[in-house]
Order: sequence, then structure tokens, then C-alpha cells
Amino acid sequence: MATYSNQCAIVGVGENQRSRKSGTTPLHMALTAARNALADAGLDAKDLDGIMNYSTGGDSCPSHELATYLGCHPKYVKDVSGGGSSTELLIADAVALIEAGMLETVLIYRSMNGSSGVQVGRGYDPNMLQEMLPGGSFIMPYGSASPSQWFGMFANRHMHETGITKEHLGHVCISFYEHAQRNPNAFLNGKPLDMETYLATPDISMPFNIHDCCVELDEANAIIVTSASNAKNCKSKPVFIAGMAPRTTHSHVHYWTQVDEVAADHAAADLYKSAGVKPEDIQVASIYDCFSWVVLRQLESYGFAKRGEVGDFVAAGNLKMGGSLPSNTAGGMLSEGYTHGMNNVLELVRQLRHDYKGTERQVKDCELGIATGWAGPDIAGAMILRN
Amino acid sequence: MTKQTAYEKPIPLKTPDNHEYWDAADRHELKLQKCSACSTYIHPPGPACPTCGSPEMEWELLGSDITATVYSYIVSYRPFLPGFQHDLPTVITVAALDAAPDVKIMANIIECDPADVEIGIPLKMTWVDVTDDRALPQWVLARG
Ligand SMILES: [Zn+2]
Repeated sequence: MATYSNQCAIVGVGENQRSRKSGTTPLHMALTAARNALADAGLDAKDLDGIMNYSTGGDSCPSHELATYLGCHPKYVKDVSGGGSSTELLIADAVALIEAGMLETVLIYRSMNGSSGVQVGRGYDPNMLQEMLPGGSFIMPYGSASPSQWFGMFANRHMHETGITKEHLGHVCISFYEHAQRNPNAFLNGKPLDMETYLATPDISMPFNIHDCCVELDEANAIIVTSASNAKNCKSKPVFIAGMAPRTTHSHVHYWTQVDEVAADHAAADLYKSAGVKPEDIQVASIYDCFSWVVLRQLESYGFAKRGEVGDFVAAGNLKMGGSLPSNTAGGMLSEGYTHGMNNVLELVRQLRHDYKGTERQVKDCELGIATGWAGPDIAGAMILRN
Repeated sequence: MTKQTAYEKPIPLKTPDNHEYWDAADRHELKLQKCSACSTYIHPPGPACPTCGSPEMEWELLGSDITATVYSYIVSYRPFLPGFQHDLPTVITVAALDAAPDVKIMANIIECDPADVEIGIPLKMTWVDVTDDRALPQWVLARG
């Protein structure tokens, strides 16, 4: 079992301006995010010896192209076809390569025209899943092509089994929308949500209405990971990678016949063990929130509330500022924007650096945070960060 | 001559791994792949057994009288694929076969009011002819 023991740190984070229509390419957006992350760290592009990126269906730009236009020639570039746990899992790869002595400083990015280009939430190409996956022919003929439908199958049974209600989903949305009102860069800043409005909004695909679904936008984010010794040379306050756990469970990529467990259930024990901490030690969180219910399910998986008590946990305001687990404090993907998980990690880093000190956005004195990634019920990746 | 309306929804793609399932469906029968080594049913069918990894597999004909129970379901009010704009709301279920509850088959529940659907209710398999030579297994509510 891997021990992380704070040997690597995140020393830079950056993004571009999110929008409905960037009017530009993922390469341009990635360059902006990468330059901002380098400036945040006080590093030069020539200091990068690794660059990695994840994408879905070719919606990004290759790491080699990013390196080219940053004006550097890193030792190592890697592009993976990834999902909502790839931020954590590429950071794990970077840590392993740094600890192996192969690399020193790695930039990881996600860039996508998620609104004006490919919109995952609208469903995948009718033929793509059939041709690519053994299970594809068994879901597409029945109209199931959107993650809201795939995850909804898990959500409805879980809600039936544990007593989670539509109101509980609403509390997740309302908590995150409330955070977004403190974040001028959140797409839904200026658009708060109340329960009456939430409950009056019709479902797109049960149990999800538009508020339960993340805001797909044109966005790019970047993160720089380096060794703890090199972190001392950076201008930012380092945020150490204290623990990490990857996990897959179900057979098949999309034909899931067992909806009673998710990969996160199994990642949790390894995660806390690798960091040597317990759920009650965590002070701030970034919980993957492609859909509201996905947050509830992971709160159960990662031990923040017992099965059957997760609804009450969020209804009591625990995800809000002042709650026991302020989560997705920039608004999350439900209301800040969807950068496929990475923007929630940027926010966690900023919280742990106390970047918002002196404002109502800062989770006071937080030292330990969790970031959970959900590529689906079948694939999880989570990490613990500390300052 | 009546003009035939073209079927707009995706038609299951037959592959070397799954064609026995879809060929049987075209005859309005259910046929499942089964592992010869550990006797587990394999659904969806594939190149090996996901339970034990064995490549030795056989096919078992279960016939046309197939009942199941709703394990989970969703109701979609928006089409995510061509053709479904004509069938809103769309009910999609994962149903556990009564004869083999570990086998769960995803399909629509057709000809039903979504308000009548809940976890645990009984279903019966039916087959809908979607083209001259293709048929699609579907579920209907089993009425007692
Ligand atoms: Zn087997």
C-alpha cells in the first residue's frame, strides 16, 4: 500500500475565464490556465519536466502541443482518456514519477469547450457506445445515453433504500449555490436558489432537474505538482498530497447490473489509511458533483454520514460555511462550472492555502481537506491534501 | 401501399459476442450466455466470463415466457437519442429475472403510466418488431 507522507505538493493552480462560448480552442484555454498556474507557483515553463492531460472523446488538446506553445520541451508528456476521477489519478501518477526520481515538476490540465463543443450531458453519439463497448448495444436501443440516466438508475434505488428525498437533493444544490454567491467567477453567481424554486423545477430525467445537474461550460484548469523539496523554491504556500486511493468496481463501462455499491465505498478505507487520518479530521471538502445525488452517495462512502443519515446531514447545513464539512466552496460543478472535477480541486487548494483569509469565503484555519473524484459509480479516485 | 415510417431509434448492433442474444430476440426468445466453468450467466454477453475470466462459454435458451422484477428504474422527460422524442416520458428499468435474479436486463417499460412504476413490481418480457427482421426485447407491467 502506497504511503504518501507529504513528499509532494501542489504549488500552482490556474484557470481561464469560464463561459458558455469561449470562441476559441481548448489549446488557447489550456495555455491561459497553464500560464496562470505557473505564475501562481512562481515557476517558468522550462521548470516543467512533465505535462499530463485528460480528455473525453478528443475534446482537449495534446500535452505536446501545450508544451510547444509554452515554449518548453518537458521530458514526459501523457494524454489519457479520462473521467471525473482523472484529476486525482493523474496527480497520483505525477507523485509516483516524482518519487521515482524520474520527474521533478508536473503540470496537469483539463481543457474543454464543454458548452460550445461537446456536451456530455446531452448524451453520447448514438453509434459510438454501441461500437466501442460490449454493453453499448444493450443500453442505446432503450434511449439511455446520458450520465443523468446512468447515474439516475443508482440514485433512484439508493433513495428508495435509504429514504433520501428530493428535498435532500435540493439541500445539496442550495448549499453549493449559496457558495457560488461568494465567488464572482462562479457561473451562477447572482443566481441563488431556494427550496421552493428547486422543488417547482420539473425533472429532466428522474430524479434530476436542471439544478441537480452540473453547469457545462467552456473551461480550462491547470495544477502543478512538485517534490516537497522543490516546493520550497516556489512563491506559493505548498499544499501537500497526504493520501491517495484509486478504485474500480463494476464489470463494464456502462452496463451496470448492480447499483447497490459504488467504487467510492471501497476507495475510502485505503484513502484514510494512506493519509493516516479519519473522516472526522477533515475540515473542508471537494466532493465530485456532476449530479447532486452523487455528492450524497459519496458522503456515505467516505464516512461523513452513515447510510440512511446522509439526507439529514445535508439538510442540517453541514455542507455550508460553518457546517461540519464545508464542501465545494466555490459553488462546485453544480453552480461554479464543470471542468470535469478539476475546478473543485483548485478551490480546495486555495482554501488550504487560506487564500480567502479575512473574507467570509475562507473556511477558517482549515488544514486538512479531501477531494473525491467520480468517473462513474464504477471508478473512483480520491486524495487528501494538507497545508 | 402504405408508406412505412422509418424506425429512428438506435437498433442493437450485432457483434460476434452478442449475436446469439439478438438473433434469439428476433425470434421473440430470450437466450443468455453462460460460463461453462463457473455456471454464471453472462449479461451482456462478451468474449469471456467477467466472474472467473474463463473463455469457455455456452448459450442457454430461456424461451418466451420471461418474468422479472423492477430492481431500479428512471423516467426521462427529454430525449437523449433519436426517436425517443416520440415516446416521452421514457421509462427505463433494470429488471432482475425471476428465474435468475443476478441477471438484470435493461429495457423500457412500454405501454405504462410512469406513475405506476415502482421498485419491486413484477414485469413480463415482450418483443417489439422494430424492422422487418429485427425485434427488441421490452418489458410490460405484469397484470395479475
Ligand atoms: Zn465463469
